[in-house]
Amino acid sequence: MSQRFAELGNKLIRDAKRTQNLPDLPSYQSETVRATVREVRDLDRELEHLKAPFAGSFDPSSEPAIACAMLVNHLSMRRNKRCLLAYHRVRSDRLEEMCWKGVDILNSEQGADGRGRGENEAQGGSKSSLSPEEEEYVRQYEDLLAAYKGQWTDIDLTGSLEPPKDLFIDVRVLKNAGEIQTEYGAINLTKNSQFYVRQGDVDRLIQQGYLQRLGWT
Amino acid sequence: MDDDIADILASVSAPALPVRTLDLQALTRAWVNERTAPELLPYPTDLVDRVMERIGKQISTIEEMSGTMDPQANFTLVILQTELERFKFLVRSFLRARIAKIDTYTLHYATLPSQLSPLERQYLQSHQSLISTHYSTSFLSTFPTSLQKLDDTAGGISMVDKPDEDAAVFCRVLRDTGNVEIQGISEVAEIEMKRGDVRVLRWSAVKEAVERGDVELI
Repeated sequence: MSQRFAELGNKLIRDAKRTQNLPDLPSYQSETVRATVREVRDLDRELEHLKAPFAGSFDPSSEPAIACAMLVNHLSMRRNKRCLLAYHRVRSDRLEEMCWKGVDILNSEQGADGRGRGENEAQGGSKSSLSPEEEEYVRQYEDLLAAYKGQWTDIDLTGSLEPPKDLFIDVRVLKNAGEIQTEYGAINLTKNSQFYVRQGDVDRLIQQGYLQRLGWT
Repeated sequence: MDDDIADILASVSAPALPVRTLDLQALTRAWVNERTAPELLPYPTDLVDRVMERIGKQISTIEEMSGTMDPQANFTLVILQTELERFKFLVRSFLRARIAKIDTYTLHYATLPSQLSPLERQYLQSHQSLISTHYSTSFLSTFPTSLQKLDDTAGGISMVDKPDEDAAVFCRVLRDTGNVEIQGISEVAEIEMKRGDVRVLRWSAVKEAVERGDVELI
């Protein structure tokens, strides 16, 4: 039985809160998650233990002390559940957002986060800040998104959400992006060069950070 | 205000405007409504179908025109493409606003399939099963069975998050719609909704009028 009752859940919530303000997703707290789940199981076992002598005929008013203990156990389990759900939700929301933005999460994760405090060892030494479950989730969500997007090919659902003002925009190339085909011919996007191009052709590259839009507030 | 007059004319007398102008107006309105309303609005199947069909046509027109390489056509092309981009943006932003709501209140909208398009329904179901599997494999499967549910209402708190129906919205009245009840702290008041009025009201109070098209959100 953990003496630091409910502290683990709080830790998850603090981490989730912090995540909301961070540009990158911090490492998955697999140790804390495991410990919180363990706490729930311990609480449940204790609850069973408390209930056992009454064989189903427990009367709360005759045993207020035990009733109280049971209630506290029960509420703590529920609280831990909420904390865990909230923690995972914040992270999965963030991952979805990155999927929509077209970030290649699974490949760019490698080595992006060097702050793993030992909890990464359980994941076969990988540097990923995602749990294996999260990686699976991202893979499946990307498929789902691609399927939904595929129904709206004319629209390009993941395109820019800024109202289009001009058909053509000035962009500067931040990273080499190779050659792209436009209806006005091929453009070779080499670093530091500048182009006047059709916005629809380069939206994706702007989102992915290859290009920077100029004169844009 | 011209828009409103056109709208009235179109609905009362013979249509004074071509369908596409009305569709653009309807799409813009649906988009603004969807972005400001706290709840998901019914999916305008016909409207979206018509607009998508026209976008498809416009794309092929543009392809044809740019194929001819006629310098004279360039100016027209720019205008057509700009218009196309704007239409695409409207539909995109509209659909994304809906997806955002569906993602936030997944379980809630799973019980209201009539508000969604078939595609959105598919998306919602797949997404929901993804999330459940994710929670389950991450931690929930090791929980006591009684605590594994995601839509529990025990303890007087429902786990299913709902949109706030009482959120305030800015709205403009397009057609006289009679009186609306306003719940104050201690008493209930009534106000008359007259054409052209702009008010801040609870969403729950104007929801039906918006769905009828008598009131628009701004």
